[in-house]
Amino acid sequence: MNDAPHDSPGTSPLDAAMLGAYVDGELRETERAQVAARLAHDEQARACVGAWRAQKAALQALCGPADHEPSAFIVLRPRHTWPRRFALAACWLLTAAGVGWFSASLTAHVAPTAPPSAFARRADIAYAVYTPEARHPVEVAATDEAHMIAWLSKRLDRHLFAPSLEEYGYTLVGGRLLPGDEASPAAQFMYQNQAGTRLTLYITRASADEATVRVLRAGDRRTLYWVAQRTAYALSGTIPEPKLRAIAVDVCSELGGEPQRWR
Amino acid sequence: MTFEADVISGLAALRRYARALTGDPAWADDLVQDTAERALVRAGGFRAGTNLRAWLFTILRNLYIDQYRARREIACDDETAPWRTMEAPGREIDGLVLRDVQRALYHLPLEQREVLLLVCVEELSYQEAAHVLEVPVGTIMSRLSRAREHMRMLLGDEPAHQKPSPLKVVRRTP
Repeated sequence: MNDAPHDSPGTSPLDAAMLGAYVDGELRETERAQVAARLAHDEQARACVGAWRAQKAALQALCGPADHEPSAFIVLRPRHTWPRRFALAACWLLTAAGVGWFSASLTAHVAPTAPPSAFARRADIAYAVYTPEARHPVEVAATDEAHMIAWLSKRLDRHLFAPSLEEYGYTLVGGRLLPGDEASPAAQFMYQNQAGTRLTLYITRASADEATVRVLRAGDRRTLYWVAQRTAYALSGTIPEPKLRAIAVDVCSELGGEPQRWR
Repeated sequence: MTFEADVISGLAALRRYARALTGDPAWADDLVQDTAERALVRAGGFRAGTNLRAWLFTILRNLYIDQYRARREIACDDETAPWRTMEAPGREIDGLVLRDVQRALYHLPLEQREVLLLVCVEELSYQEAAHVLEVPVGTIMSRLSRAREHMRMLLGDEPAHQKPSPLKVVRRTP
C-alpha cells in the first residue's frame, strides 16, 4: 500500500497497540491528538493506520449490516432434560424475521382495549414461527385428524375439535402441541388456502370465560382471541382484520362460544 | 423492553457474527438458535445494567468453541475452506478486494478472527471484547495487533521483513 522503507520494523515510536486503539476510537481526546500529531511524522505508522482502517471498512462491508436477512426465523424449543421452570421459560417461541419488523411488532402490541394477554402473545408468536415453515408446518397432518384431535384433547384436557373453514377456502393442514404456560400446554391448528395463506387457531385452557373478543396486532399479523367454556382461543392470520373477524365469529360459535355477545 | 425483546433485538448482530466466525450459514443459524435458547433459559445469569449484547456474544462464543472442538479444526485448505461455499463478494473497499479479505479472514487463527470481528464488525469496545473473550484488555489489544498485521500480510501489504508464512498469500491488490 506504500513504498516506505521498513528497515527498522518493530521499533516504531508508536506501538501497535496504541495505533490500534487510535483506529478503534479507544483513546481519550488528548491521547488521540498526540497520536495524530506523531503520525504526521511517521510514515510507517501512517501506512499501518491506513491499512488497518481499510481492513476494518472491508470487514464491515464483507459482513454487511446486521439485519440484511429478513427471512430468518428462529424457533426456541424446550429441552426435556431441563427443569420444568427452565423449560417453561425456554418454551418461548421466538421469531427474528428481521429485527426491525419484529421490534416494530413488539411496540405495536398495544391493544385498543386492554393489554393483550400472555396467551394471545404466545399465539401470535407461534403463528409467526410456524406458518413460514414449508416442510414441517405441523406436527401431525390433517390426514391423521382423528388421532391428532384425540391426542391434543387428552393433553389439554378439553374436548377439542378443529372447526371447518372450508367455506372460507381454508383447509386444515394439521396441528401441533406447544408449550403454553404453567397451567396448560397449548394446541395449534393450522389452515391454509389455495394461495398458501395460513391461519392458525391456538387453543389452551383458561380459568374464566370472557364475553368479549380482543385483538392483538403485531406487524402485519392479527390475532383475535376470546375465552369460551374455560377454553381460550386465538385465531391468527395476516388477512384483513374484518375478514379474520368474520371467520372468528364462525369459529367461536362452532366451538360453543357466543359471538353474538361480542362487542 | 422486556428481557426477551432485548434478546430478540440482539439476534441479528449475533447472526452476523456467527456467520463471519464460522463461515457457514447453517452452522451459524444453529449457533444463534442455541444461543437464544440458552440466553432465555439462563436469563437469571444476566446482570441487569451490564451489556446484554456482550453477554449474548459470550454465550455464542462458548457454544462455538465447544462445537468447534467437537468438529475438530476446520481444515483450511482451499478445497474445504469456508469461502468455497460462501457468496463471493466482488467489490473493492479502500483498495481491498472483499474476496481476498474474506479468504484472509479464514486463514487467521480463531483467536485472531474472533477479536477482529468483535471489534471491527460488531464494534464492541475493548472492554466489552475482553469480557466476551474472558481475557484482559491488554490481551485484546495485542491480539488485535497481531490479527491486523497477519491480515495485512495475507493481503500482500506487509513489508518484506515478515517471515514467510506457511499460508498462501492471496492476490496482491493492484
